Amino acid sequence: MSEPILQMKNINKKFGSVIALKDVNLDVYPGEIRGLIGENGSGKSTISSIAAGMQKATSGDMYFKGDKWQPSSMIDALKGGIGMIVQESGTIAGVTVAENIFLGEINQFKNKLGIINRKLLNEKATEAMRNIGVEDITGDMPIAALDFQTRKLVEIAKVVLKNPDILVIDETSTALSHDGRSIMYRLMKKLRDEGKAIIFISHDLEEIMEACDTLTVLRDGNLIRTFTKDEFDADAIRTSMIGRELQGDYYRSDFTPSYMDEVAMELTDVNLGEELRNINLTLHKGEIVGVGGLSGCGMHALGKVMFGAAKPESGKVALGNGKKIDNPHTAVKNKIGYVSKDRDVESLVLSASIKDNISVGGMDEYALGGWLVTSKRESEYVQNQIDTLSIKCSSANQLTSQLSGGNKQKVVFGKWIGCGSEILILDCPTRGVDIGVKQAMYQLMMKLKSEGKAILMISEELPELIGMSDRIFIMKNGEITHEFERNAELTDANIIGYMI
Amino acid sequence: MKQTTFNRNKIGQLMVTILPFVALIVLFALFVGVVSMKGYRLDMYLQIVFNEGVVLAVVATGAIFIYTLGTFDISLGAATLFAATMGVLAYNATENMALMILAIFASGIICSLLNSVLASVFHIPAFVTTVAMMSVLTAVASQIITTKGGALGGISIPSVIVKDMDNPGFKIILLAVFFLVCFFTFNLTKAGRRQKFIGGNPVCAALTGIQFNKYTILAFTIAGIGVGLGAFLTLVYTPSVTTTTASSIGMNIFIAIVFGGMPISGGARSKIYASLVGGFSFMLLNDILELVIDSSAAYGITQLISAVFFLAVVYVTSMNYRTQMLPR
Repeated sequence: MSEPILQMKNINKKFGSVIALKDVNLDVYPGEIRGLIGENGSGKSTISSIAAGMQKATSGDMYFKGDKWQPSSMIDALKGGIGMIVQESGTIAGVTVAENIFLGEINQFKNKLGIINRKLLNEKATEAMRNIGVEDITGDMPIAALDFQTRKLVEIAKVVLKNPDILVIDETSTALSHDGRSIMYRLMKKLRDEGKAIIFISHDLEEIMEACDTLTVLRDGNLIRTFTKDEFDADAIRTSMIGRELQGDYYRSDFTPSYMDEVAMELTDVNLGEELRNINLTLHKGEIVGVGGLSGCGMHALGKVMFGAAKPESGKVALGNGKKIDNPHTAVKNKIGYVSKDRDVESLVLSASIKDNISVGGMDEYALGGWLVTSKRESEYVQNQIDTLSIKCSSANQLTSQLSGGNKQKVVFGKWIGCGSEILILDCPTRGVDIGVKQAMYQLMMKLKSEGKAILMISEELPELIGMSDRIFIMKNGEITHEFERNAELTDANIIGYMI
Repeated sequence: MKQTTFNRNKIGQLMVTILPFVALIVLFALFVGVVSMKGYRLDMYLQIVFNEGVVLAVVATGAIFIYTLGTFDISLGAATLFAATMGVLAYNATENMALMILAIFASGIICSLLNSVLASVFHIPAFVTTVAMMSVLTAVASQIITTKGGALGGISIPSVIVKDMDNPGFKIILLAVFFLVCFFTFNLTKAGRRQKFIGGNPVCAALTGIQFNKYTILAFTIAGIGVGLGAFLTLVYTPSVTTTTASSIGMNIFIAIVFGGMPISGGARSKIYASLVGGFSFMLLNDILELVIDSSAAYGITQLISAVFFLAVVYVTSMNYRTQMLPR
């Protein structure tokens, strides 16, 4: 075996009272795709972000290509040879794709008069996008006009352009749908074949086993074990991740659709530009309806329209009793909750505490007279959600920004479940959460279903749709192309044809 | 080890919370020291600080609701001038104290509501509308003052009608009542809590069903009441209005609430007490500098030192928060 390109020795990291890493030793070799897997809060993002200069270790040493490695920032690390694509959005709104890709380097496009050659800037940015296999995005496009997945691809192009020796991809695939993931996998293989190293972080066990050459498992800030390709075994990896065997069913164990006759929500002939065309959909009480498709198929817009956050050009979005839903305020008043795919931007106030985030949804429930917020009632309400959802936190006053992805998602669930939402619109509810939290969320969805709540689950993961839904609607180019009923024979292969 | 780190973290948070109060005490001690050293009458100077500080604190208390939303209103000083001007006109026209008070509060609230309607209904950024409003209100008030005031350079009401109210007891009660009502609204009602949520992330707030327009209008209305109260207290202190009355309040509020420990971005960490602590801290600092730098260049140097102090406070109050962010 060749010499490691990156050596991390006895790395420790503390955030206040939280110990994120304990004496972690990690060697990464050139020409390998190294997977990092573990539950939320296990330390995967922390160890990789230390290598990529996002933050400094509390103690420990790093060596990159044999030399001591002490990057002062992500830019410094990227210049030195380690680039990272972060889990959440890393682009800047209000500027173009080109300006994002060449952020901080625009001066190279200035002519003798000091005027930026925009044509050249846009051409180079377009070339960078082509370089990673994206053909339809050009440098002059405003970043705000792109969806979450495409913005992620812009980030990838930006980092790859610097030709790093190590590329860290942190939980990025969850932001991408099938075509986006294909682009990323191709890129990873290409870089590996060129002798570069890739550190790939994902919660998706199937994906990580498929894509990686070696796999390192972290748990509670400790490095548990590194598996080589021939040692890959899903059960062994899962056990290493959670320190115990998973109990009970992962998805639903029944294979028959079951829901009440009573309609919870109905969409009739809904149109919204190119995103939604003639959508007719009925959601019943006690039903989980799954919606799937490729990126840009319109499924995320569907979620927003059902919550009143996007106004359809024609058609009707209404509750079972005929009450029209045309804005989020009306939706919430009528017990509809919405979990956005873009959790950190649309579903949470990161600078606020867990208490603030959960309690805001339930003020009508616990406030005296519907307006007086007393500390005792609020604390009881919030603590109840923390206990019910097993949110790992030091206290209800902990900042939400300090939580791991899975626990953040639980806070969002707490906001909507606590206030007794009867209809839940969940856009990629398990994005960026680990296997243990995923199972807990599936069990929660089943509990809510049994209580008669109606759930619309938008997902880019077909196993999740098949495993949890009573009915699945597949979308393509803004239209529903097929509806599947739950049955034991349903597989990915049955569905994919209607997506592409 | 874990416990030690935890305690250090708690101490850090506590330090940031109490820092504005410590600064107020230190500034007060410095002020007393400087006045004594210069051989001036302490009671007289304390009264000056109090009279200036109480107006700033009252207007700032109302303004906290706007700043909490993550926006700001630079026209509050001009609105105070305008409301005071309307009050003087109303009294001089009717010789009725109640109508004067009504005119003052109506003017303050209308100015604020106009800003909020432009900001929330027409979606014009608040900093644009309030800058425009500042110019308009200053121009209108100045026109009235110069037209009506003539050679006197100002308009006034008879001092005898407000003389009884020009005492610390009355002003403290007025400030305390307004502050307590705002404190209650801010911390213990659904409206106050939702305003903090909007300031933290307006997109998330909208997708939680919180009506931005409703709470923006409410915030500006409360700020308008603060403006009215500030204008009234200004007239109680000096029963005349000139074109420069309350001219610097708009910018001073901005500095004062940051001195008081409020984050400039608003949101969940907003604190209503920042208006009181910061308002009086700012006036003390201002008066200390004016006493110490006893020259024609005093104003410029005072502004410079205030700016440095402002930046230092912003840095220290945000430091603890920034170091606690986990990577995302």
